[in-house]
Amino acid sequence: MNILELRDVSYTYNRGTPFEELALDSVSVGFEKGKITGIIGHTGSGKSTLTHLLNGLEKPSSGDVLLCGESIWEEPKKIAQIRFRIGLVMQYPEYQLFDETVRADIGFGPRNMGLDEDEIARRVDEAARFAGIAPELMDKSPFDLSGGQKRRAAIAGVLAMRPEILVLDEPAAGLDPRGRTEILGGLRDYQRSRNATILLVSHSMEDMARYCDNIVVMNQGRIYVTGTVSEVFARSEELQSVGLNVPEIARIANGLIRRGIPLSGDLYTVEGVRRAILSYVKGECEC
Amino acid sequence: MLKDITFGQYFPGQSLLHRLDPRTKILLSLIFIVILFVAKTPIAFLLMILLTAVFVEMSKIPFGTIFKGIRAVLILLLFTAAINLFLTKGQGTPLLEFWVIKIYAEGIWRAVIMAVRVVLLILISGLFLTYTTTPIALTDGIESLLSPLKKIRIPVHEFAMMITIALRFIPTLIEETDRVISAQKARGADFSSGGLIKRARALIPILVPLLVSSIKHAEDLATAMECRCYRGGDGRTRMVKLTYRTRDFLMLLFVLAIGASVFVLNHYIPILLPDLYYF
Repeated sequence: MNILELRDVSYTYNRGTPFEELALDSVSVGFEKGKITGIIGHTGSGKSTLTHLLNGLEKPSSGDVLLCGESIWEEPKKIAQIRFRIGLVMQYPEYQLFDETVRADIGFGPRNMGLDEDEIARRVDEAARFAGIAPELMDKSPFDLSGGQKRRAAIAGVLAMRPEILVLDEPAAGLDPRGRTEILGGLRDYQRSRNATILLVSHSMEDMARYCDNIVVMNQGRIYVTGTVSEVFARSEELQSVGLNVPEIARIANGLIRRGIPLSGDLYTVEGVRRAILSYVKGECEC
Repeated sequence: MLKDITFGQYFPGQSLLHRLDPRTKILLSLIFIVILFVAKTPIAFLLMILLTAVFVEMSKIPFGTIFKGIRAVLILLLFTAAINLFLTKGQGTPLLEFWVIKIYAEGIWRAVIMAVRVVLLILISGLFLTYTTTPIALTDGIESLLSPLKKIRIPVHEFAMMITIALRFIPTLIEETDRVISAQKARGADFSSGGLIKRARALIPILVPLLVSSIKHAEDLATAMECRCYRGGDGRTRMVKLTYRTRDFLMLLFVLAIGASVFVLNHYIPILLPDLYYF
């Protein structure tokens, strides 16, 4: 079931000026409840615009954004309520930190929801755990943290609102490999424990292969391909034609298949390809 | 939303006005303003209106764009006109008398003349200094014109550099403000309800990140400048050197000639209002 859906959505920047620019061109796409959907595309393909539309920061020039089948712009005054249900973590979110302590900053969202202090404290601790923030950092000033810790604090600030749907724009950009796995792993834990839906914008095909269930490929303001991870990565030529790549390991697997070695199964993570090759080699030996 | 604030109204083009040296354009604007306030005869005003029209035509800038500048000061314009109209005491009998309001012929003239002056002033300075000159060229021009002040140890170059940097960062800051506002809105921040104090408090989540990033920008820029051995104005050469050309001299000569004739006209033609300056 699609919990969030775009129906024929177009969006134009600077409408009516000489700088008019069509960012999204009649996009229709649905996102399944309880899944992690990756959104990939070249720079300028409309990914970030899409994230802003999903959470009601921008209003589509035409078309509708549907949450559980109802337009989020049905009652424009209630858009703030929608934003609590659809959490958005923007690109380089550490910009948004402002409060005196990390704890207070993470609590900003829940406080805006009008929750009582006990509930806020509970949610802040929970969000900090998912984002991997050490307890001793909670009473420090957010400006004293390192870059990676700031990123975690900013993500926790959105997790603390316990959104049903979480939209993240490059949450791991510019982090070291360990930071990446910890943050993305924490997000997956959140998604599993709350049966939440996650939309993940990323440039890293490896991350996509590892964490996502479905993938949406965007190109020049349109949806190019959608499908499950294996469906999308099987079409590596098409992806390359729009300047995208499949994970390195998937390229190796596809190359082996082209050379007449029949591999099957999950062919886009290192572990999956290893298993496929091993079972192929075993099959050869038994003959 | 903030992106709608168009900053720097520079309108790219190749007209004579665009190609004039920025220093010429600053001087021309100043001379023009002086002429506007020296002029007293109707023929001088007609001449100035004509000249402005010619400059506007020459610049090839759409009329609507230029008149946006006037719209911004429309209230001020109406206000000065009204004050002149109602508060001027003429010598003859009032043209119109109603309760405490008396309108004299002099009042009408004065209101019209003030309006013409303000409109022309805005049109000309806008045309010369903003529509046909990039902000960077303008600060270069100011620096060059003020450079004699270096003799008395006023750091002209540093001031000009500060203005240039400030101008350059305005679009960056607008973009960042937009981003921070979006991020805080996504966390449910509400900027538009509640009383004055609540609204002022709602700005903290925007102002703090902006302040932090401004300081960071300043630090980064200072480091970048030092890496390229910036040491202030002494001995610094320029990539684009300002040079006066024949067209600059011709233009200055032309406008000065007009100024002189306006001044001479004041003495030979009956002037509009003898007491135009006393209010």
